[in-house]
Amino acid sequence: MSTQAPKQLGGIEFGLMDPETYRDMSATKVITADTYDDDGYPIDMGLMDPRLGVIDPGLQCRTCGQHSGSCNGHFGHIELAAPVIHVGFTTLIRRLLRSTCRECGRLCLTEDERGEFRDKLTRSEELGDDWSDVMKSAVRQARKAKSCPHCGAEKHDIKHEKPTTYYEVQQVLSGEYSNMIAGAMQGDAVGDEDPDDVDRDPTSPQDLAEQTGIELDRINEIVSGSFRPREDDRKAIERALGIDLTEEDMNKLMASDIRDWFEDIPDSDVETLGLESTVARPEWMVLTVLPVPPVTARPSITLDNGQRSEDDLTHKLVDIIRINQRFMENREAGAPQLIIEDLWELLQYHVTTFVDNEISGTPPARHRSGRPLKTLSQRLKGKEGRFRGSLSGKRVNFSARTVISPDPTLSLNEVGVPERVAREMTQTLNVTARNVADARQYVRNGPEGHPGANYVRRPDGRRLKVTEKNCEELAEKVEAGWEVNRHLIDGDIVIFNRQPSLHRMSIMAHEVVVMPYKTFRLNTTVCAPYNADFDGDEMNMHALQNEEARAEARVLMRVQEQMLSPRFGENIIGAIQDHVTGTYLLTNENPRFTETQALDLLRATSVDTLPEPDGTAEAAEPYWTGRSLFSELLPDDLSLEFGSSAGDTVVIEDGQLVSGTIDEDAVGAFGGEIVDTVTKMYSKTRARVLVNEIASVAVRAIMHFGFSIGIDDESIPPAADESVDEAIAEANSRVEDLIESYRADDLESLPGRTLDETLEMKIMQTLGKARDSAGEIAETHFEDDNPAVVMAESGARGSMLNLTQMAGCVGQQAVRGERINRGYEDRTLSHFAPNDLSAEAHGFVENSYRGGLTPKEFFFHAMGGREGLVDTAVRTSKSGYLQRRLINALSELEAQYDGTVRDTSDTIVQFEFGEDGTSPVKVSSANDGEIDVDKIADRVVEAEFDGDTEKERFLGEREPPTNLSEYAGPGLDKAEGMEVKSDD
Amino acid sequence: MVDVTQHELVPEHRLLGEDEIEEMLTEYDVKRTNLPKIKRTDPATPDDAELGDVVEIVRDSRTTDRAIIYRLVVS
Ligand SMILES: [Mg+2]
Ligand SMILES: [Zn+2]
Ligand SMILES: [Zn+2]
Repeated sequence: MSTQAPKQLGGIEFGLMDPETYRDMSATKVITADTYDDDGYPIDMGLMDPRLGVIDPGLQCRTCGQHSGSCNGHFGHIELAAPVIHVGFTTLIRRLLRSTCRECGRLCLTEDERGEFRDKLTRSEELGDDWSDVMKSAVRQARKAKSCPHCGAEKHDIKHEKPTTYYEVQQVLSGEYSNMIAGAMQGDAVGDEDPDDVDRDPTSPQDLAEQTGIELDRINEIVSGSFRPREDDRKAIERALGIDLTEEDMNKLMASDIRDWFEDIPDSDVETLGLESTVARPEWMVLTVLPVPPVTARPSITLDNGQRSEDDLTHKLVDIIRINQRFMENREAGAPQLIIEDLWELLQYHVTTFVDNEISGTPPARHRSGRPLKTLSQRLKGKEGRFRGSLSGKRVNFSARTVISPDPTLSLNEVGVPERVAREMTQTLNVTARNVADARQYVRNGPEGHPGANYVRRPDGRRLKVTEKNCEELAEKVEAGWEVNRHLIDGDIVIFNRQPSLHRMSIMAHEVVVMPYKTFRLNTTVCAPYNADFDGDEMNMHALQNEEARAEARVLMRVQEQMLSPRFGENIIGAIQDHVTGTYLLTNENPRFTETQALDLLRATSVDTLPEPDGTAEAAEPYWTGRSLFSELLPDDLSLEFGSSAGDTVVIEDGQLVSGTIDEDAVGAFGGEIVDTVTKMYSKTRARVLVNEIASVAVRAIMHFGFSIGIDDESIPPAADESVDEAIAEANSRVEDLIESYRADDLESLPGRTLDETLEMKIMQTLGKARDSAGEIAETHFEDDNPAVVMAESGARGSMLNLTQMAGCVGQQAVRGERINRGYEDRTLSHFAPNDLSAEAHGFVENSYRGGLTPKEFFFHAMGGREGLVDTAVRTSKSGYLQRRLINALSELEAQYDGTVRDTSDTIVQFEFGEDGTSPVKVSSANDGEIDVDKIADRVVEAEFDGDTEKERFLGEREPPTNLSEYAGPGLDKAEGMEVKSDD
Repeated sequence: MVDVTQHELVPEHRLLGEDEIEEMLTEYDVKRTNLPKIKRTDPATPDDAELGDVVEIVRDSRTTDRAIIYRLVVS
């Protein structure tokens, strides 16, 4: 058992490493590029030196003495023959070169300026701003200086040729100076001047001598090229003749020059730029020693044919060592400077690509096969890199994934788990005197039986696998103090998730019900929060591994705790589709049920006794109405009044549905009034019971009435068909009239529209009306019990528009909000005459879906349909990215106990959460009326207690039990103190 | 030039006195630098505001009628 207490991270400091530190931490210097000798043993001081760690099992690490697996490996080092630039710091190097003095190394800022930037640094640290902005502006300021304010040395500009070459740019006298002066004295254009732009009077040597104050003889010498003018004279001549005699001279700075330069920069100046001099001396950005990563970080693999294949990093290190050796040999042999420089550049290239092999402007180092090598940066960067791939995106144990399917007999808190999954996922059972019998039974059942056990752990820490062979024997040995990894059983809590996890209800905790077959089963009422359907959707399950996690999941994450959505503050779990149809059928016309039927409807609920019958039918048989049966599910003291989507007013008085239709608006997911109210006024547990029971009664009801839909349900009488045709023909002729008047130039354009636009708008309008009137005609012929009408009316699925498109007329197809205008030149299809503006030729579908579309109509319909598909595809990818960015920006914000919202550096974002300090799920969703909290509290407290003492005790502290398993009580226990008194 | 501070959509920005600032900082238990910021060059910032001052903004809110926020004047 680990006894380490968790510690808090104070901070992380990033810096550069001192070459001395590289040497100190090095296990060995690496000098040979070879890896293994002929016998397959690693070569001493080679890249696979056993002091760098071991990867072959059986070998011992020569540094720490441990074997492979226990030894994490140790760094070595290579002494570079010449310093090279570290590619990771090229910008910083450029900034330092530009802002410091080449001679004395000091920052080219005056004392005042330095103080100013130091102040800015402190302020930006206090404000949590980016310190590098201060550095940038300091560098910009220092770069402006013409000469060093400390030693007076002239400052040259620095040119950076990516990735690692730096030049000092100096203005020197052009080699062509004599010709240029002579040319300018004759009045010609010189150098790279444009002859057309130059209007220069000829100057005689005498004039020039006068103007510049140089002796005439000197002038002649200069013009003949036998004397190079000094700077003062050059400037005077330039001024007199209006020419530029200089040219840029690029002086390459070698890495060693840069290192020497940086060594001169004083610590105080480094700190003025915002760097911490103790951990980031600038000269450390120029490498003289290269650390060699341990072999464990670049293990070689043995191929099937026994050949060793080395890691990309090792390949790169081989290159570096080879060039390093050649460099040293050539230098000792006194090779010409040119060759030395070439080798130096090669060494720089290899070290550069060792760090990063995806530098723009540098050809990537490649494998023999042509594949670019994966070096240090490539291991970290990108989606599959160490950060996003290995650290943020780890694969986890104790997780399962399979297809989901519906099971209306489960509670919405439950999930059906296939036995095979339950046998694989385990929970740790700490064996005590009280459960030793159970524990033994689990072990006795073995890994194949369910509920069995897969592993046991003895008190000495030894883990034993339970097998079919040893399970009997092992079961006898299990004692208190052991741990048993038993299979998942009914009532265990697990986490269930469907991607994309767009809101917090995408991950909820469920209680396990172990079931046969191979799918996860879930109650259909939780489809809404997961956005799941059963057309092949898969979901993930995670078994929780410690008591704290299980408790948190049960109290905070269980489905019933997520009943209300923080997005809109109303319930997101409720009746959907057939549930809504079912309650509609049950309550709309308030049908009567016999005793048998009534009992059948309520059989899956906690109601076990029927209420008083609503009356007696002719044959003296008592009957119950749908509304009074539905009322049995409601809390006894619930009173509500609201409008239903079916169009009537729902009145609930003291738990009795007096009138109105129960449909989407009453019990639906996404803000069903009754579910929402019960969740907020009673409890989450009561709401869970309610939703479960509504769903099961609804399913019973829809099965009682029978509900199906077929093609004949969308047909209308021939006479109606004719009047639809008439309406469309009329619209067609009106469109023809419009086109005619347009062609005759009689059409008057609407304000702000062209004539063409006006015509299009009017045609669209006419055809839109035609579709509507066709729909109206069709609508009148549908009975109220038509299944499509029932679904549309109740809000279960579909709309009247869908129905009229099936029965009446599909209507105008549109792409980008306009009639279809694409295809061929001047026409949509080759079946039409050019410039045909008629309804038919631009995508008006006059047929109904039931009647069938013509081929041309079908084609236009497909065009309109494609736009919808493309739109959704584009929208999901766009909004996904937007959401990712939003989440990253907001993820660290947290509502504090004092009500403020702050980020991790304690900066206030909101002084009061949401400006009103309330949680959207704890607020009434009623649109009108103030909420009188005191009154509500008084009412609740008054109703709850008789005596003052009880009331006070309550007001002290009492949390409703939200975390009771459904298995803790009798299956369908109502929320504490909220029992639905069925009757009696 | 239009004076945006007079626009109906620009809420009241008021400079806080030093004692008021202290009171507010104690109330929220916050350092001055951890307040939200406003630029001194922001047209809505009072003209006599200086670096390090705190502005109180009283604006309309969708959830409460009036929301009060404080901002630190920065450069
Ligand atoms: Mg699906
Ligand atoms: Zn070791
Ligand atoms: Zn200097």
